[in-house]
Amino acid sequence: MSTTIEEAPKGAKASQKYFGRAMKRVEDPRLIKGIATYVDDLKLAGMLHAEFVRSPHANAKINSIKTDGAKKLPGVVAIFTGADVNDKLGTIPCATPLPGGKSPDHKVLAGARAYFVGHPVAIVVAETRAIARDALDLVEVDYDPLPAVIDPEKALEKNSPLTHPELGTNIAFTWSISGGDVESAFKEADRVLKIRLIHPRLTPMAIEPRGCVASWHAGESSLTLWTSTQIPHLVRTLLPGLIGIPENKLRVVAPEVGGGFGSKLNLYAEEVVISHLAIRLNRPIKWIEGRRENAAATIHGRDQIGDHEIAIKKDGTVLATRCKAIVDVGSYCQLLTPAIPTLTGIMLCGCYKLKAVQMEVTGVHTNKMSTDAYRGAGRPEAAYIIERVMDLVASELGLDPVQVRLKNMPEPTEFPFQTATGLQYDSGNYQAAFNKARELADWPNLLKERDTARKAGRLFGIGLSTYVEICALGPSKTMAAGGWEWGCVRIEISGKVTVITGTTPHGQGQETSFAQIAADRLGVPIEDIVVLRGDTATAHFGRDTYGSRATALGGTAIVMSIDKIIEKTKTLAAALLKSTPEKIEFEDGKFFVSGEANNELGWGQLASEAYVAKNLPPGFEPGLEASSFFEPPNCTFPFGTHIVAVEVDRDTGQVKILKYIAVDDCGKQVNPLLVEGQVQGGIAQSIGAALMEKTVYDENGQLLTGEFMDYAIPRAADIPDYVLGSTETPSPSNPLGVKGVGEAGTIGATPAIANAVIDALSPLGIRHLDLPFTPERVWRAIQENGGGS
Amino acid sequence: MKVAATREFNVPQEKVFAALIDPAILQKCIEGCEKMEKTGEDSYDAWLKIGVAGVKGSYAGKVRIQEKKPPESFTLQVEGKGGPGWVRGTARIQISPKGEGSELRCESDGQVGGLIAAVGSRLVEAAAKKMLDAFFRNLEQLLGD
Amino acid sequence: MNAAAFDYVRPATLDEALEHLAKHGEDAKVLAGGHSLIPAMKLRLSQPRVVVDIGRIRDLHSMSERDGKIAIGALTTHYEIESSDFLKRSCPLLPEVAGKIGDVQVRNKGTIGGSCVHADPAGDWPAAMLALDAEFEIGSPRGNRTVVAKDFFVDMLTSAVQPDEILKFILVPVTAQTTAYVKFAQKASGFAIAGVAAFVDKARKEVALGVTGVAAKAYRAAGVEAALRGLELSAATIATAAQKAADGIDPLSDIHASAEFRAHLGRVQAKRALELAASRG
Repeated sequence: MSTTIEEAPKGAKASQKYFGRAMKRVEDPRLIKGIATYVDDLKLAGMLHAEFVRSPHANAKINSIKTDGAKKLPGVVAIFTGADVNDKLGTIPCATPLPGGKSPDHKVLAGARAYFVGHPVAIVVAETRAIARDALDLVEVDYDPLPAVIDPEKALEKNSPLTHPELGTNIAFTWSISGGDVESAFKEADRVLKIRLIHPRLTPMAIEPRGCVASWHAGESSLTLWTSTQIPHLVRTLLPGLIGIPENKLRVVAPEVGGGFGSKLNLYAEEVVISHLAIRLNRPIKWIEGRRENAAATIHGRDQIGDHEIAIKKDGTVLATRCKAIVDVGSYCQLLTPAIPTLTGIMLCGCYKLKAVQMEVTGVHTNKMSTDAYRGAGRPEAAYIIERVMDLVASELGLDPVQVRLKNMPEPTEFPFQTATGLQYDSGNYQAAFNKARELADWPNLLKERDTARKAGRLFGIGLSTYVEICALGPSKTMAAGGWEWGCVRIEISGKVTVITGTTPHGQGQETSFAQIAADRLGVPIEDIVVLRGDTATAHFGRDTYGSRATALGGTAIVMSIDKIIEKTKTLAAALLKSTPEKIEFEDGKFFVSGEANNELGWGQLASEAYVAKNLPPGFEPGLEASSFFEPPNCTFPFGTHIVAVEVDRDTGQVKILKYIAVDDCGKQVNPLLVEGQVQGGIAQSIGAALMEKTVYDENGQLLTGEFMDYAIPRAADIPDYVLGSTETPSPSNPLGVKGVGEAGTIGATPAIANAVIDALSPLGIRHLDLPFTPERVWRAIQENGGGS
Repeated sequence: MKVAATREFNVPQEKVFAALIDPAILQKCIEGCEKMEKTGEDSYDAWLKIGVAGVKGSYAGKVRIQEKKPPESFTLQVEGKGGPGWVRGTARIQISPKGEGSELRCESDGQVGGLIAAVGSRLVEAAAKKMLDAFFRNLEQLLGD
Repeated sequence: MNAAAFDYVRPATLDEALEHLAKHGEDAKVLAGGHSLIPAMKLRLSQPRVVVDIGRIRDLHSMSERDGKIAIGALTTHYEIESSDFLKRSCPLLPEVAGKIGDVQVRNKGTIGGSCVHADPAGDWPAAMLALDAEFEIGSPRGNRTVVAKDFFVDMLTSAVQPDEILKFILVPVTAQTTAYVKFAQKASGFAIAGVAAFVDKARKEVALGVTGVAAKAYRAAGVEAALRGLELSAATIATAAQKAADGIDPLSDIHASAEFRAHLGRVQAKRALELAASRG
């Protein structure tokens, strides 16, 4: 960790004590002590336990399901199949369908067919989890296996079996984007480079698998659903229609959540079934997923294949890029599945001034779990593409990859910058981050190190990534169900402060950072503030946490609410100080008449007055509470530069990361410690994606990477000592100037590592190698290019 | 997953063929096949207990003899499902005369699913080879009697 | 995932334990450190009706010298071996292997006996046991017996220990410091894709190499040993001999390493293990 925890500067003003300070999180003591409440900690009276029978086949007709034997097991309360529940419930929604897309009905349990290994086929409800698990072994399902559709490219061939025969096609959707004059750009080119780039399927593997508890309150005809989710508000919007209760009779609570990374940005069939059965059986029901279920039936990420053409000039100018891409979406489009590749398309020009960009995407149905948002959601694919392209341009033209990037970058004066894809990048100074990173990397000596290593026959490589990404989603016009964010601030009668956010932090640390923002804005000690989140009964409105939006949007909504309270309080203060509101100033938590700073009123006194209400001026509404909706005018565009040095073992193909330098710009930083944590974690997941992670299905659709025995994620020993730095280019998209940093590490890092490994192998004539760089893949590339020792 | 093997026997081609399509002998050749019950022409219900060491699973399934071309070849289809998952295998068996005896070539294509595919895939191929070895060993013993 | 229901007994003596096994036959499984059995039980790949926990049998948890050899009780944990100054002096291959097994939690509970009886094709101990020609003392209702390493590891997940027997002691020789264990681990599980234990006897001009992870069971790389018999060890002789490290075996294949890559790694690790062992004395 490079950031030091900071004390408040001595004599700091009450309005300048917290924002920007590296502070420990208020969340951590309860998490470390194990006294936080996760969904599996919930124990309700009369609670039942559920386990799902899941298909062991990727594609099969379900001929019959025999449950008599299982029902006889003492302690089994009920067993339900698709026939029992599907026609009573709605279908699992996709919030972002694309025009012309064909989607099958996504019923909550499999009906006549199972479509992927892990597809829930039946549910056992029992008095204890152990009994439910025993009963699973007694449920007899008669399957007729069918050929599985596994390879997405083969799935588009004429004679391919169909994942969903009733659709008549394996194409789930098509989408394209075209900006600028693509034809002319390619005509103008000195050369057209071609490359095929694959981003493998990944499994998010949050440390806490999914789970939920549903409880029906028969007296009020209302339901409470506690679920390990990133999106309690979106669930509250989507679930009522599926289970047939009104929206205002549903409370959704996200308790402590052990990681999401996008895998809990969804409404899952299991959540719907458990909710329905809690009503039907009139008893609370708990379901907790095992790791194998998590690997098989929680959404996967990425899985894009693209054939790219790049139009370039001899001097390294990149004119345009066009590509045809295939996305393996799995058996169903879940909540945001089709939107993910669209995020790739709009960010395909990266941080460069391309004249034209074109992307055609075909989403393909296969007999696998659905893909959807996974940390970065479409932008890691875009950054990987454009940053591999920049290195390719450099190597094909014999140019310096640094110069090629600088040549194509816009100047800081060109912001807000309009991209060929129609986006307006809010602010940026790519050169500053790039220069700082090279400084931290001691660039000239790094190059010398590579020369020395190469002369000694070692495979040493340096890789770069100068990335930009889009986050703080976003303007409601572009979002499926509102991109605003809500925040409420309440000064309590005692003068303590309650902040309620409509975002749903699940590890990001906003209980701390929002308190920092509020404390400075109100001029109160941070200990007087509590930040509430995650419960739709408390946070009435919200659009939750994903897309690195919470601080930029949620923080702004809180600031707006605080400003409303300050305005209102000025009226009260004026009355109490026998003055007029225009003459009242507010500074460092105190209200006073302009020029009479010694006669000040603090929040404690003002709050008491506002609620006890004996001395209110006429027309003044009691209370000091305000809520606001912040509608962002634009997304934000964080950026940065990552530099990686690697060495490849010729004999084993093992890749070792020797140096890792990252300079990230997320605009103004509320808490540098949180920023550092996000960057570190994001890079770690990128190391996984670059070196070891890949979700593997065999040709029958069996998931071979269903446990940590076979799906490798990085451990502490795999992570190099990062050298981290930052620049701060404030965002004009919100008054805080904040951009968002939750996903930046996962976006900027993989391309830098990829470029480094390919650079290391380049003396052997290797032009490209696909992810992940497992030892065998690297070794084979070396062997095929005569590089064995 | 494809596994193949060839073995020689001091027994003429017709005798080897006849032995293999005899359910009593076939059942003893398939390692772990505890019982086979005829359900139709060349088709049987079967109960298998297969696995490695302590990790054995019980599977209920079917054995079918198809594409019979006496005395040269036939195809054996075995499938079963149980707690640990499901197994499916097709073995193309070819017997040709060799000297005074015969040579048997077995080309098998097997698939597994469920738990064993998820957590045991590194051992599945080795286990399949073992079963094939056992098949020949058992057959040799039975032919020798 | 949780295990199917089972009965649990915890005998205080070896004889009691053997009685339980005799009584329950194939329905019983011995529990030592539990880090192979319990995961299999949680997955329900293994469903013993009776678990016989031998963890309290103190006799099996010891380390002593016996007739010039070292007798290690089957219940000795990997951690105890890793941290034993005595073994570092007298049989350094063992602490080196122990330190590469799994992770700290596994090493604190896992036992050398349990690991050997489990005979995982990618387990670390078998490579060292073969290289050292270790002897295995087995407690049996038919009379105690001793089996040498090459006969102990019978097949994939199959040792010579019958279901009604319990491994008691492992006897290893006192050796020089010229030993080494190198391991190329499968990134997710930490098991060996190619682990080579090398024992170099410079005086006799002989080497012994145990290889694990490459084939269905661990094996002695006889071809390498033959190629180096009577020769002075040098980078050149080692490099040439190591080429034989995967001869005569059928390498395993899975998504982490094909048979071809595994065999190659076996050769690479053989070379590295020999070089390392030779450099230590």
